Amino acid sequence: MNSDFVLTVCPFCGCGCQFYLQVLDNEITGVVPCKTDEISEGKPCIKGRNSADFINHPDRLKSPLAKRNGKFEPISWDEALNILTKQLGEKKQKYGADSVGVLASAKCTNEENFLMMKFARAVIGTNNVDHCARLCHASTVVGLAKAFGSGAMTNSIPEVEGSDCIFLIGSNTIEQHPLIGSRVLRAKEKGAKLIVADPRRTPIVQFADVYLPHKPGTDVCLLNGIMNLILSWDLADKDFIAQRTEGFEELERKVKEYPPEKVCEITGVDQAALENAARIYGEAERASILYAMGITQHTTGVDNVESCANLAMLTGNIGRESTGVNPLRGQNNVQGACDMGALPNVYSGYQSVTDGKARAKFEKAWGVKLPEKVGLTVTEMTDAALKGSLKAMYIMGENPMLSDPDINHVKKALSSLDFLVVQDIFLSETARFAHVVLPGCSFAEKEGTFTATDRRVQRVRKAIEPIGDSKPDWLIVSELAKKMGGKGFDYKSAEEIMEEIAQLTPSYAGISYERLDNGEVLAWPCASKEHPGTRFLHKDAFVRGKGRFFAVDYKEPAELPNKEYPFILTTGRLMFQYHTGTMTRRVPALERELPTGFVEINTRDAKKLSIAQGEKVKVKSRRGEIEIKALVTDGIRPGVVFIPFHFAECAANELTGRNIDPEAKIPEFKVCAVKVSKGGKHG
Amino acid sequence: MAQLDKTFPTNDCAMCILAPKMIEANSHPNIELLTYSEIEKVSGEAGNFKVKVKKKATYVDWDKCTGCGECSQTQLTDVKESEGETWVDRIRIDEASCIQCGDCTQACVEENKEKHAITNVAFERRSFTELPPEERKGREPETLAQRIALMDEKSRMDFWQRELSKCIKCFGCRDVCPVWIYDGAELEDAEWIKPGQIPPAVPLFQIIRAYRIAGLCVNCGMCEEACPMDIPLRAIHQLMWRQPPESVFEIIPGLDAETKNKLVQAVRKQPKAEKKQPAAKRERRK
Repeated sequence: MNSDFVLTVCPFCGCGCQFYLQVLDNEITGVVPCKTDEISEGKPCIKGRNSADFINHPDRLKSPLAKRNGKFEPISWDEALNILTKQLGEKKQKYGADSVGVLASAKCTNEENFLMMKFARAVIGTNNVDHCARLCHASTVVGLAKAFGSGAMTNSIPEVEGSDCIFLIGSNTIEQHPLIGSRVLRAKEKGAKLIVADPRRTPIVQFADVYLPHKPGTDVCLLNGIMNLILSWDLADKDFIAQRTEGFEELERKVKEYPPEKVCEITGVDQAALENAARIYGEAERASILYAMGITQHTTGVDNVESCANLAMLTGNIGRESTGVNPLRGQNNVQGACDMGALPNVYSGYQSVTDGKARAKFEKAWGVKLPEKVGLTVTEMTDAALKGSLKAMYIMGENPMLSDPDINHVKKALSSLDFLVVQDIFLSETARFAHVVLPGCSFAEKEGTFTATDRRVQRVRKAIEPIGDSKPDWLIVSELAKKMGGKGFDYKSAEEIMEEIAQLTPSYAGISYERLDNGEVLAWPCASKEHPGTRFLHKDAFVRGKGRFFAVDYKEPAELPNKEYPFILTTGRLMFQYHTGTMTRRVPALERELPTGFVEINTRDAKKLSIAQGEKVKVKSRRGEIEIKALVTDGIRPGVVFIPFHFAECAANELTGRNIDPEAKIPEFKVCAVKVSKGGKHG
Repeated sequence: MAQLDKTFPTNDCAMCILAPKMIEANSHPNIELLTYSEIEKVSGEAGNFKVKVKKKATYVDWDKCTGCGECSQTQLTDVKESEGETWVDRIRIDEASCIQCGDCTQACVEENKEKHAITNVAFERRSFTELPPEERKGREPETLAQRIALMDEKSRMDFWQRELSKCIKCFGCRDVCPVWIYDGAELEDAEWIKPGQIPPAVPLFQIIRAYRIAGLCVNCGMCEEACPMDIPLRAIHQLMWRQPPESVFEIIPGLDAETKNKLVQAVRKQPKAEKKQPAAKRERRK
């Protein structure tokens, strides 16, 4: 009998809690919290506690599958790789490398994302590589990079505890990042002031000193209004602005156009509350902004992010402990997947593909010619597939059939592909459209690293052998690459991949398995083997030199309600499920809590439409219609409805639109116009 | 031996054998009884021993103690003897579980107006809690349990309302509990606790949990350790040992009308409408 405790990282949100997997004879028997872990302190949330339950689920894919006559049949690995080599090679030959699209995954390790990026660029020869960060924090990566030079959380999670003022905007922190939510409450106990701006009354609102329930999509206006008040009360940090920033005059002029009266009219918040918020934030010694999807998932996503950056720089709340602009990343390794360059415009460490010097470096290291043109994003790939210019797709651990906007469109796009490979641990909604399905491994069956939201790189360790014939994703990609004639894919272990990452990525240069295994907490940038990692960014200077203010104007969301579609639909997540539910819907404890979706509607609106609590209603947008249970509540603004996007049977993304931010290409998940009516089947 | 009564093989009364010996020892001029003490070191030889004894703090002045036992009748000392027993040597305050309410001191003072025996730390702490807040500054702070015990009904309810609203229903407190025998029932009963809701029914979720283990809790504190939201769960159990549960939460899920009313009110305090459900259903069942 063999028993072991394996320290690893939680596969759900971006907090990056570590815990032990309890292993008995190659079977995982439970999760044991790790008391010495800095983030969870031995107190994981319900998802963390139950994160081992899906690993041995009978639905796990155990061998490669090929679709023949509309049915999936198990095939051998050799056969599967032969089909892939033939099909992908053929498409590349016939239609050019850019006819192939690759999706890496925010659920997979850094090593796997790096390899997938290398595979797309060096073997296929295209920059068409992207992942679901496009749907969550693409605007952060673009916006913060423009303002500060680095598109990541500026401070670390434990620092939140030391803030005097925490400004949460568009983040359901307690439900989505419980361990960060706990830090916020701790700061509050110590006397910090909490400002929450959110159209939904999320659980953290009851602890707020000021609550601003603004209309979805009016974030820029709200932030400009706060900056207007801070400037008019002379609360701005003039020294900081003069020494460390540029473009302030422009911002000052723009912000003057947003007097509180106008702001309150557009955003729908109370003027006294707005003034209160501005005073608290402006006067705070150490103020910290925490934001999430509520800021980014808009057609004005980049503008919103820039506004947050403006506010922090205006008051000098950046580059110090317990301050900063902190985007809370939703997935265990979405930060890492971005860092690894699983994006169409950059290599690992955000080195641009259009920069000749960076390209030459990677060409030299990999010994191949690399494409120069910026590739397609997730949202553009579906369009290209429908147009016919994208012929084949290789999707690793993603489920666009639930996560992407306008599912009906995605469905058409995926079915019009000549060849689709999906590599996943379960037969997801997307995998059902695939020609070949490859069985990957869960986090418990492979070695690697995840990068948490605060840039902290942590080790994922193998606890059990791969289930059935499944293989770790890095092994699959490297075997395929070798078969397709790729050079430099002879990795014996994930550690060797990390060594290559460290060589090619300045911000990861000092990170190695040896240091991580010694228990060092390393947050990038970590420039050398001696570098202790960086807790907070922009200490004495911004990464880009001077911080840049951007004067941004409020723009209306792309799709506003009208007579026919009178409600604003905003989508989001819930505590007990995770994203498209591939994993969490197979965990009994979580599924028991939330077996299906609902539409949250304000009591007043429900009364007007005579909708009762729990009644089945129809929600319709210009793109689709779903039937769903109503949850009548006062916790949401009148005129706004909320649907979680986890559930395939009532998928919020059948309704959402494909309007995207012009720069970040992120779709507007948070605003679209819908109609709610009685008359579900049982209504 | 004394507690076992009759003694083998003669069936003598145990106390009859022991008592004369004990009296003899106690009244011996060369014998001094040291209660609640431990021998740390013995050296020397027969006729000339040197013994190092550690006397533990009892917070009782034994010269003054009359052995009336009044202090042991209060809730807070850990000399819960059965009726009639007032073993003076067992009167001591277990610092780990003392919530410093001062009841034992009060009892001592009332009984022995001139020469009360419980004097030092315990008595000082009692007077400390009676000081106005501004004078308490800079001195030893009260413990959480002490603070809660001294709250009035409303602020106590508000305190729990606020703390328990932090709950994210991770079930950590239940999962780590060594005395919770899992049967999947109470906390997963959809009639009482609506699934999928954050925070779960306040304060019902925690009341049900606390009641379930009320008599079994060993105060190990694992529940509080496991709580990601830092809810002072241990204080609930500390208080429930000392006080009837209804005074911890100011309600008791019994069946009399007044209590039920309190429960309903507590549940209604939550903003969301559907929380009324459990109370309504109970009424119907009745």
